Amino acid sequence: MRMNLKRRLAPCAPPGVDLGQELSWLACGGIVSLLYSFQFFIRYAKHYEQLFLWDGISRVLDTSAVMPDFVDILGGSLSGFQVLALSMVALAVYHYAYHFQGSKSIYLMKRLPDRWELLRRCITLPLLGALACLCASALVLLTYYAIYMTFTPPACLAPGQWQRIWSLLPGVPV
Amino acid sequence: MIEIESVTKSYGLKRALEGVSLTLPKGQIVGLFGENGAGKTTLMKCILGFTRFSGKITLDGEPISHKNIDRVSFATSEHSFFPNLTATAHKEFYQMHFPRFSEKRFNALMDFFELPRHSPLRQFSTGQKNQFEVIMALCQGADYILMDEPFAGNDVFNREDFYKVLLGILEPFETVLLATHLLEEVQSFIGRAILIHQGKIVGDVSTLELDEAGKKLMDYVRETYNYRPDRVGKALSDLTSEK
Repeated sequence: MRMNLKRRLAPCAPPGVDLGQELSWLACGGIVSLLYSFQFFIRYAKHYEQLFLWDGISRVLDTSAVMPDFVDILGGSLSGFQVLALSMVALAVYHYAYHFQGSKSIYLMKRLPDRWELLRRCITLPLLGALACLCASALVLLTYYAIYMTFTPPACLAPGQWQRIWSLLPGVPV
Repeated sequence: MIEIESVTKSYGLKRALEGVSLTLPKGQIVGLFGENGAGKTTLMKCILGFTRFSGKITLDGEPISHKNIDRVSFATSEHSFFPNLTATAHKEFYQMHFPRFSEKRFNALMDFFELPRHSPLRQFSTGQKNQFEVIMALCQGADYILMDEPFAGNDVFNREDFYKVLLGILEPFETVLLATHLLEEVQSFIGRAILIHQGKIVGDVSTLELDEAGKKLMDYVRETYNYRPDRVGKALSDLTSEK
């Protein structure tokens, strides 16, 4: 499958670039970002505990307690994905700089009849990488939201959680 | 025909080319000579559109753009191949982008120079890299083949082989513009010599004219550059004479 992916992506990358290594780095970045996002669970567990009072040895829900908003608990949990998406700019720069390594293959790329070939080979993978980061962070966001809504006692939920998620997007008033 | 009209190019305050005008008709082997920094490489980069310049360069009356760039190929001592790709992968890449790529010529030249087809080019020796660079320029299917010091680093036997092959395989409509310092080596197979000095064309002569005048290319170059043969003797005498 990996070989198949490499073969499919090869026309979208600078000729001869180590695609396997780039995909590995991208996968590592994704895993690290995912692990970093697990801080959501630590925050959530802490706030979840505060919803309960101890009556002797039994735990009782404090109905007057309100769970902090999902977006507040989420905090910067997804910033790993954002950093990874931003690092795709560096990957595009690396792809361009690759044409100066060991030779000046930039001369060949610049004189190809297809004027978009150089641009396509420099930015396609970074764009796909950024898109993958966006999709992964959206998936993680939805998963964490589902966990938040499922496990938080309804009595402690503040209304309008879904609307507040949109405040994560810059420029969207809530 | 490539027509170069009043091309001027500056790098900051330094004038690399100044009012260069010349034509390159089909079917010529042209030597471009000049000292280091004379503007040979810059002129080629202007023709290929790698750098901005003032003036006009046309190919059969049309500006050189992505529409007709496949008619011009380029071999440079800086190399323009992909070091991680094999020769075969290069062939496939060229075939994908240059419809007139000559596989027959490629196979013949690869066999002649005994270059490995399945090793990445980074494993080639400098001489082999130069050979491969020139092979790709010759096989692209271009009418105008620009070569910038293509034999830098090759031994004399290697170069001689190449001159012979070049003369043998070129079609009558193919033009080669060859920038080199190796005047005496190439004088027997070029048809025209262009001299460039400090960004200006200072000489443009056919080898036929030189033959008729009974001159050698080196003499013409010396004359054009106002070379003073007594210069070395005078300098040595100045350095060694007692006060």
